[in-house]
This record gives sequence, structure tokens and C-alpha cells, in this order.
Amino acid sequence: MTTPTDRDLILQARRGNAESFGELVTRYQTGVFNVCYRMLHERGEAEDLAQESFIRAYDRIHTFDIEREFGPWIRRVAANLCLNHLEGQRGATELDDERDADPTQRPESVVELKERSEQIHAALASLPAHYRVVIELRHYQELSYEEIAEELKIPLSDVKSHLFRARKFLAEKLHAPG
Amino acid sequence: MHLADHVTDVQLNEYLDNETAERAEIEMHLSSCDECAARLSTLQNVFTELDSLPELALTKSLSEASPWDAAPFTPRPSLPAQLPKFLTLTAILQTAFAIVAAVIAAPFMASLLPILEMPSFATMFINLQSQWVALLDQLSTFHFQPVTFNLPTLEMTSLLFTLAGVSVLWILGNGLLLRNQR
Repeated sequence: MTTPTDRDLILQARRGNAESFGELVTRYQTGVFNVCYRMLHERGEAEDLAQESFIRAYDRIHTFDIEREFGPWIRRVAANLCLNHLEGQRGATELDDERDADPTQRPESVVELKERSEQIHAALASLPAHYRVVIELRHYQELSYEEIAEELKIPLSDVKSHLFRARKFLAEKLHAPG
Repeated sequence: MHLADHVTDVQLNEYLDNETAERAEIEMHLSSCDECAARLSTLQNVFTELDSLPELALTKSLSEASPWDAAPFTPRPSLPAQLPKFLTLTAILQTAFAIVAAVIAAPFMASLLPILEMPSFATMFINLQSQWVALLDQLSTFHFQPVTFNLPTLEMTSLLFTLAGVSVLWILGNGLLLRNQR
């Protein structure tokens, strides 16, 4: 028996098969969660927003263009959702050291690699929301400059300047001595 | 770009993102400029760091205890993104007819409608009272007189024709709309 494609699952979900949509969630939940975690740097919030992304997708399953790929689309939905979430929060753009207190990653129990990952996550979390989202869309979702501009409805020049400033900021954060 | 010019930060970003048309020129400059090469190296490190982030695992599956899992999934009928062309055309024609009819009817309506002025409440009350008194006086000395009416001929007829025309067009428009919807 062959594994159903995303397209098959979407068509089945449209016909009322809830299990098919559940299968889509299973396939993409880790990717979507990681988008949210990179954007929010808080596990509980990231899981909530990932769940919310799938709820949005579930609501729009009948209007989703079946010719598009579901995976990239749901990840972009998640990135936009997190951006809106961050912009709705006051003072969310500054790094809060308590936010990365992930119980699964205590400093005394993690290896060096995990510590470095945590530093990168923390550096990302310290970026303003509109810088964070361009990094997410460019580095992790591999969108072109034009696609990012279209997705975020901002000018191409803003995409370039946001990327440049975000990377400069990250370089200072990650490669600062001491 | 000139070979002597340093590569800007935006150009370096475009270069690493493969979003530049000046790739050859930038590479030529980088090969001869230590300062720009060092800036490129710093930027490349950021790319490497970002690419090195591992995927984290979820602590719980999102496919469990979700709306699509708990509630029976009822497909929603998809709505058309916009009205069909013939419906749009009918609506446009109907609107155009209504506007033309309103423009034709406007002068007649203006001549028939009195100019509205709102006097104060006290003035209105005094006027009403004096009119009532005058009416009572007239009634007390009432003598029947033949009444003659001077109906406007052309204007009123034209107005009636216009109103009738608007009504017919409106009914026709609605008829077309309803027939197309079946």
C-alpha cells in the first residue's frame, strides 16, 4: 500500500475525513513547531502557535490551492502568525533571559553544541520581530527576496535592509568576545 | 561597481543570498581586498551558525486533542471568490439605469419639494396656534365656494413617465438577476 501524498490527504480532508488532516499535522508538526520556536523562543508559546497554525490551515482547507505545496505554505502561515503574535506583545522585541529557561535544556546538563544552539536561539529572540521573520523566511524557509517582500507585503528595499541589519546584529551578538 | 570601491554590506548580503547580478565583480574585488574579505567571512559565520540550529522535538503530538480530532469534521461549501461575470454585468447595468433615471428625475423632484427650513419649537408652536385660531375663524364663517385645480401638465406627466420607467427597469433588472441565479 502506497503512502498517500499531501494532495491526497487534503482532498480526503475536504471530503470530511478528519484522520487525513491529522496525518498532515503529524507530517509537518515538527517543522511548524520549529518555525514557532525560532520566532518565539519559548516552548509553550511555540507549541500553542504551532497548534494555531494548523487550526488556521484546517479552517482554510477548502480554499487552499491544491497545486501548492502544503509544507512550505503551513510554515509561512506559522511565521506570519508568530510575527502578528510578537507585534501584538509589548516589549517583546527585547531579550528576556527567563524566556529560554527550557526545562529540557538546563545549562548543567547540556553539551557544548546544545549551549551554542541555545545562544543562537537567544540571539534570534533578541531581534525585533520584523527582523526575526525575514531571517526565518530567508534562512529556514529559503524564500527569495521577492517572495519575502510578497509574503510580508513590504518593499524589496525593506527586505534587504532588514536582512542586513538582522545579520549584523546577530554577528555582534554571537561573535562578541567574552 | 568599480573594482576600487569596497563592497557594501547590502551587496555582501546579496552575494551570499545569490541575489546579485554583480557576482563576478564582487568576487574579483574580494580576491584583492582583505577588508571586504574579512567582512564576508564574519557574515558567512552568521550563515553557518543559523544553518547549524538543530530541529527540536515536540513534547506532545499536535495531532492529538485537536479540533479536527475531537469534533466531527464537516466540510464547508467553498464560496466563489467573486460573482460570476453575468451577475456582475447585470448589477452594473441595473446601477447604471438607476443612476440615469435618478439624474432625469432630479430636476422634477427639486421643483416639487419645498425648501425645508426648521423654525424653533416656540415659533412652530405659535404658528400652529395662530393657524388653528384662523381655521376656527374660517370655519365659523364658512361659505362653500367652487374649487379649481391648476395641475401642472408637462412636468407632472414627465415625472410620472420617469418614475414608471425606473420601476420597469428595476423590475427587469431584478428579473434578470433572479433568472441568472437559478
